[in-house]
Amino acid sequence: MTATRSPQNPPRLLLRGRNSAEQRFVLIAVAPLVLYLAFWTLLPVVWGFLLAFFDYSARRTGGIFLGLGGSNPFVGLEHFRAMLNFSPDAPLQVRQFQHGVKITLIFAFLVVPLNLAITLPLAVMIESVHKRLRSLFRTIFFLPVLAPSVGVAIMWGYVFHPQRGLLNGILRLITGEMHGTNWIGDPNLVLGGVPVALLAVVTAYLWQDLGYNMVIFIAALQGIPQTIKDAARIDGANWWQMFSRIILPLLSPTILLAAILTMISAFQVFDIIQVMTDGGPNGQTEVLLLSIYNYAFRYQQMGWAASVSLVLFLIVFSISLVQTRLLRSEWEY
Amino acid sequence: MKSKQLIVLSVLLMLALMASACSPTAQPTQPPAEVNAPAATEIVQPEPEQPASAEKVVIRFWSHQNDAFNAGYQALADAYSAENPTVEIQFETFDYDTYIQTLQTALPAGTEADILQMFGSWVCSYAEGGSLAEAPTSLISLEDARSALFAAPVGGYICNDKLYGIPQEFNIEYGAVLVNPRLAEEAGIALDGWESWDEFITDSKKLVQMEDTVMTRAGFNFTGSDGIAAMFHSLILQNGGQYLVDGTYKVNTPEGVKSLELMKRLVDEGLVDPLLFNDEQNWVGDSFFEETSAIGLVGPWVVPEFGVDYPEIAETAIYMRLPTVGETPKFAAASGWGLTVSKNSKVQQAAWDFIRYVTLDEKNAVQFNLASGTLPALVENASGANGEQLVSEFSYFKPWLEILQYGEYEGQFPDRDFVWYEVTYPRVLNFLQGNATLEETLKTVESEVQGSF
Repeated sequence: MTATRSPQNPPRLLLRGRNSAEQRFVLIAVAPLVLYLAFWTLLPVVWGFLLAFFDYSARRTGGIFLGLGGSNPFVGLEHFRAMLNFSPDAPLQVRQFQHGVKITLIFAFLVVPLNLAITLPLAVMIESVHKRLRSLFRTIFFLPVLAPSVGVAIMWGYVFHPQRGLLNGILRLITGEMHGTNWIGDPNLVLGGVPVALLAVVTAYLWQDLGYNMVIFIAALQGIPQTIKDAARIDGANWWQMFSRIILPLLSPTILLAAILTMISAFQVFDIIQVMTDGGPNGQTEVLLLSIYNYAFRYQQMGWAASVSLVLFLIVFSISLVQTRLLRSEWEY
Repeated sequence: MKSKQLIVLSVLLMLALMASACSPTAQPTQPPAEVNAPAATEIVQPEPEQPASAEKVVIRFWSHQNDAFNAGYQALADAYSAENPTVEIQFETFDYDTYIQTLQTALPAGTEADILQMFGSWVCSYAEGGSLAEAPTSLISLEDARSALFAAPVGGYICNDKLYGIPQEFNIEYGAVLVNPRLAEEAGIALDGWESWDEFITDSKKLVQMEDTVMTRAGFNFTGSDGIAAMFHSLILQNGGQYLVDGTYKVNTPEGVKSLELMKRLVDEGLVDPLLFNDEQNWVGDSFFEETSAIGLVGPWVVPEFGVDYPEIAETAIYMRLPTVGETPKFAAASGWGLTVSKNSKVQQAAWDFIRYVTLDEKNAVQFNLASGTLPALVENASGANGEQLVSEFSYFKPWLEILQYGEYEGQFPDRDFVWYEVTYPRVLNFLQGNATLEETLKTVESEVQGSF
């Protein structure tokens, strides 16, 4: 049987319409990258997927094939079944998982709207200032994106420090009294049902992440044809009408993109939380990824951690899918 | 060159690069010159065991990166190789986090070194997983190991009545406290020891500093994770109880109640505010050296570690024994660093011989403790000339050396870190912060720890 250049033969699609020299070049150029990705991305994904169905710990030798089997037995869907045990007597790791899902969802659903609510007007405002000032503002707001997360977490840790922190220092200046509020360490501090420690982490995360979406929105704003804006002005549209009736609808594809990217990024938050609170106080900031890290690398329950990772992937995938459907709009203008 | 050959070549190149990237990124170790490494002449030389004509034996040795530890190992290896020219010890070191992950991946893959430095509380999980070799009785019998080494450090290396390695140091967190003499003097406290908890509380209270209603300096900071777990379990022992019997964890007992009551009393007396002083904020090590805690519950390892950044405080800091609840100052301890041999090693006999030389010879063992600034695991080295040598080098060792004999191994948990950091610390801290009752706390800790078995 000979290979044909038909649409039913996808690998050949890449090479269709190319002469043999070009085909060779493409193959040679692409092969290392494909191998690299397969080795460093695809294999770990497959391995992680596989582990989710085993009670695997790297401390145990296990069976002959990759340490699977033997003392690292196949447990099928047991990890996933355990995750659905909502009894108060459920094992600690199960309760931590359920708590982690809740905290991660709260974190993500706080971060996404707050981020968009700040970055979009900010981008509009920056675009409305004089050209010379635009790049200055863009740089200022984008700088935190370039800062390492660990540094950001340490800096915000100092801001919220109970005795030497900037926030309590400002409160002291205002009230004239020493304030010892432990913003990120007191489990009793709750605002509107949300732990203050989580809000503090959200603040630090937003501070670092704002610049990224801001740049995306600025690029999108610059892509809106001037003729449309001019036409609206001629029709007597004021600033708010221009923003709400013209700019916002035209930016909806970009908003969707930014929302999805921010949501995915928020679900993967780890370093800033690990350094600022390490999941505390009393587990109030223990997001799923922190729990995955702890169970995989501190407590050696790699199988459990892999199954939680799989669930996290499914959550992110589902929410992204729903977002795409809900915010679907005309993409052309 | 034909395209197929090119593709094959590029594939081979990529595979070779990937394979090289997968190998452990170990660093060949050189002892730093400034570290107090023992001179080869100070070390007792063993009788040569291999004939001169024997083949060269190369022993690979993995450890975590710690200049003081590595200097100690290198000096002993040099001395050993001088007497055993056919034996070469090749050191490879990893930073701490990488080392843990490397062990976890290399042991199942069978690519680990012959000698593996291990922390005692890790040993049984690897031994039971089939990765470590049992120590031969020709090295030392289990009975002899139990009498030659302190119970706490050797306890971590005994799994199902089998010995899987030899500890070199005694890791300890409870029994004595780190005291800032300058702050004590300013508060008018005579540092002549505490006979009772009442005395201790009275003195510690004088060290507390408040600004308005905020505690800016703790009198006694014990609310870090290691401090809470070590104190809770040690007090149970001192009260005459046992928290771990035949694989059953039981703390919801009268002894558990007494232990938590004492810890809560320290908080209620105002020695520390657990909302402001814990692992997340004002951790005991940082806090002591920043002088926001006058007395801290933390092991002696903290002095050399913080001595680099706070030399003045480290030089004057002293340790003082804590009062005891029962008749003897019993305490629970987490074993210590030591040496094990991989089950996959092809040179097990030579590896064990080197371990014997490094760990069981009194003079060599004490040289390692001197070089690494660690407490001895060998009973003989806690007293006599070797003990005096340690105290002359590290004066803050004195109160510790007096109580080592009362230490008990904290016990074999399926995962000690899980018990300490996911259960005991958060639950007890929550109780000390006033967010849970004593009964709830003991019940929760007991059921959650037992659930991990």
